[in-house]
Amino acid sequence: MSYTLKGRLESRLAALALPVLAAAAVHQWWALELAGLMAAVGLALDLVYHRPIPYQPAWAAVPLGLLELGVVMALVRAIGVQAPLRWALVFYAVAWLWAQVLGQALLPLWRMSWSEDGGELGVRPTALAAVAIVLPFVGGGAVYRHNLPPTLRLSAGVHQGPLVIDRRVRVVGAPGAVVRGGIVVRHRDVTVSHVRVVGGEYGISVLGVRHVTLDHVTVVRARLDGIHIRHASVRVHDCLVDMRGVPQGQGIDVSYGMIQGENVVDQCTVIGGRDGIVMHGSMGMLMHNNVAETSMTGISMVEMSMGAVAQNTVSNARGIGILCGDHSMCEIERNTVAGTRRDDAGGNKMRAGVGLEVEFESEAHLARNDLRANPRPLGVFLGATIDP
Amino acid sequence: MRVAIVGGGLCGFVAHLTLRRAGIEDVTVFSPEADPAAAFRVRAAAIRQTHMRSESDGHCLPTSFPGLAVRDARARRSVMPLVASGLDRYHPTVETFCAHVDDERRRSGWSPVLERIRSIRAVDGGFELDAHGVFEHVLVATGHPGLAFPEELAGDPRVVHAYEPHGYAETVCVVGAGLAAATEWRNALAAGARVVSVRRREPVQQPLNVPRPMLTKRGLARFHRLDDETRAAELHDLLAPSYPREAHVDVPVERRVNGADQVIAATGFRRGFRHDALLARLVAERELPTVNGWVSVAPDATVASLTDGERTLALAGVAAQWAYPAADTLMGARYVAHGFARRCRTR
Repeated sequence: MSYTLKGRLESRLAALALPVLAAAAVHQWWALELAGLMAAVGLALDLVYHRPIPYQPAWAAVPLGLLELGVVMALVRAIGVQAPLRWALVFYAVAWLWAQVLGQALLPLWRMSWSEDGGELGVRPTALAAVAIVLPFVGGGAVYRHNLPPTLRLSAGVHQGPLVIDRRVRVVGAPGAVVRGGIVVRHRDVTVSHVRVVGGEYGISVLGVRHVTLDHVTVVRARLDGIHIRHASVRVHDCLVDMRGVPQGQGIDVSYGMIQGENVVDQCTVIGGRDGIVMHGSMGMLMHNNVAETSMTGISMVEMSMGAVAQNTVSNARGIGILCGDHSMCEIERNTVAGTRRDDAGGNKMRAGVGLEVEFESEAHLARNDLRANPRPLGVFLGATIDP
Repeated sequence: MRVAIVGGGLCGFVAHLTLRRAGIEDVTVFSPEADPAAAFRVRAAAIRQTHMRSESDGHCLPTSFPGLAVRDARARRSVMPLVASGLDRYHPTVETFCAHVDDERRRSGWSPVLERIRSIRAVDGGFELDAHGVFEHVLVATGHPGLAFPEELAGDPRVVHAYEPHGYAETVCVVGAGLAAATEWRNALAAGARVVSVRRREPVQQPLNVPRPMLTKRGLARFHRLDDETRAAELHDLLAPSYPREAHVDVPVERRVNGADQVIAATGFRRGFRHDALLARLVAERELPTVNGWVSVAPDATVASLTDGERTLALAGVAAQWAYPAADTLMGARYVAHGFARRCRTR
């Protein structure tokens, strides 16, 4: 067979389609990686083969196949693909055999002029481009699907907790699903969504793990914190935490997660409690939240925390609206703080209804914050600095 | 849609099978001979050919798979033909090939109109073939226009052409340097004759007549881009006689025919459209462009000035070498037939 370059590439892509789909179907990450490597090596070598091999007899598939196997396995080792050797060889051998059957029999049968067209499939370049684009998406989609944790669906009604999650899982609540007594997350790659949590010492606590997502969760009547995050990396979206009647608890408490990575609290509503959203010794972003009627601070970023407090609305907080304190570094931008109430009956000026406060050696960059109806719009204390 | 194949030799037969495979049933074949392999059988027997030159040039099917190796493997219940095929070492026997032609004849309902077409007249919407009416798509596969004899041997009673039935005298002079000549050296030696080769140049030893890339788009794309003069020169070189290395036999070489008892002209076939009455008339009537004896056909072997959205006139076999240098082989027949079927299907 005298392949044209286009014919080589098209026939290669045709031969690869099945192994890629098979790799996606077996739900083994190494199989997808191996198929990807086989595709990359095969297509790259096709470019190399084209000039020095003007005619490729059928038997040449054996030495060329062995050469490609060698390159693929070398890359498997170099990249660290966790493929079991025996199964990887079986996978390669089956894919190679399939390519031979396709090239020697099926393609010539399917397209009469396949061999005289130099292996070209007679497809339009746009169709080929579409395949080349779609194939990675199929692979990527398979990877994504493979990486999704299993889903646990909570039916509507009350589920007695505490619910302790100690494996990869997506907990998805049906409308009306309630967990009474709290949820404890102790494993990475966990998502909790559309669940209402009632009671518990902490409504939802996440302890010492990464890649946790809390999405559309509601917490009411927790005895201490609504959402309690310790030494973890969590993304909290669209939550509602009702802390009314719990004067000593925090709405959302993110603490000591600096080495775990970033935390995000976005589009949450917190009502009542001591601090609405508080971050201790952590790194992250608190954005688009709505905090009201807190007894200590609306939003605080303290104890050497680093991060952004942006586009939040804090209203009717007692003492302080937004606080950046204790050696923290804060970007405080485009927040609205209104109606902060005085709490300086004992003479503490730092709680004199300050809309935005920066204190104790902290550094804050402030921009376009809307501070209205606060007894003291801005307070800077104890060696803190602000910019501008 | 009416489709006609003018010529019922192996080329026409390949086209017939290809059109059927493409789903085109209304195909009329015109041929004075019912057996598509009739001429081949005579020539193969004359040169005592035992095997076909290659697997792909050794069957009449429209696709390269399954070739005769599969058929042979099934018949012999052995994988050896398939292994040989994989190693490019499978050469079907002439016997196997002829049996395959017979099988396909029966299977495909091959029944040509036993008549030689004398004229092709271009009319609105097609071509009129003698008094047989108008056909929209016509493939001319009239084959080689006769055996070639060196002029200097005209009238010499000792001369027989390699492709004519013959025995061997005590002393034999074989003229030529192609596969037929090499076969005749071996045959004559085997018959106990003293053999002398008369040739003007050293034989070219290569597996096929033309390099393999010239059998596919890879080499053809470049070939089709050449200007007429360069293309004609390259075609002349490509068609120089050759034979596979394994066919070579060492025999004494002389520049001229000596006084041998028998002279075998292993000089192939006459070349050029002028030797084909049908083509010569068509070229003259329609003033078709020609180059050095070749009709200047398009890359798909159609005659451009007589082919449009409504009708197709294509040449097959040796007459299509301007499009496909190996057009006089079974691979060439497939190439032309595929292009012709495409045109018939898309009209």
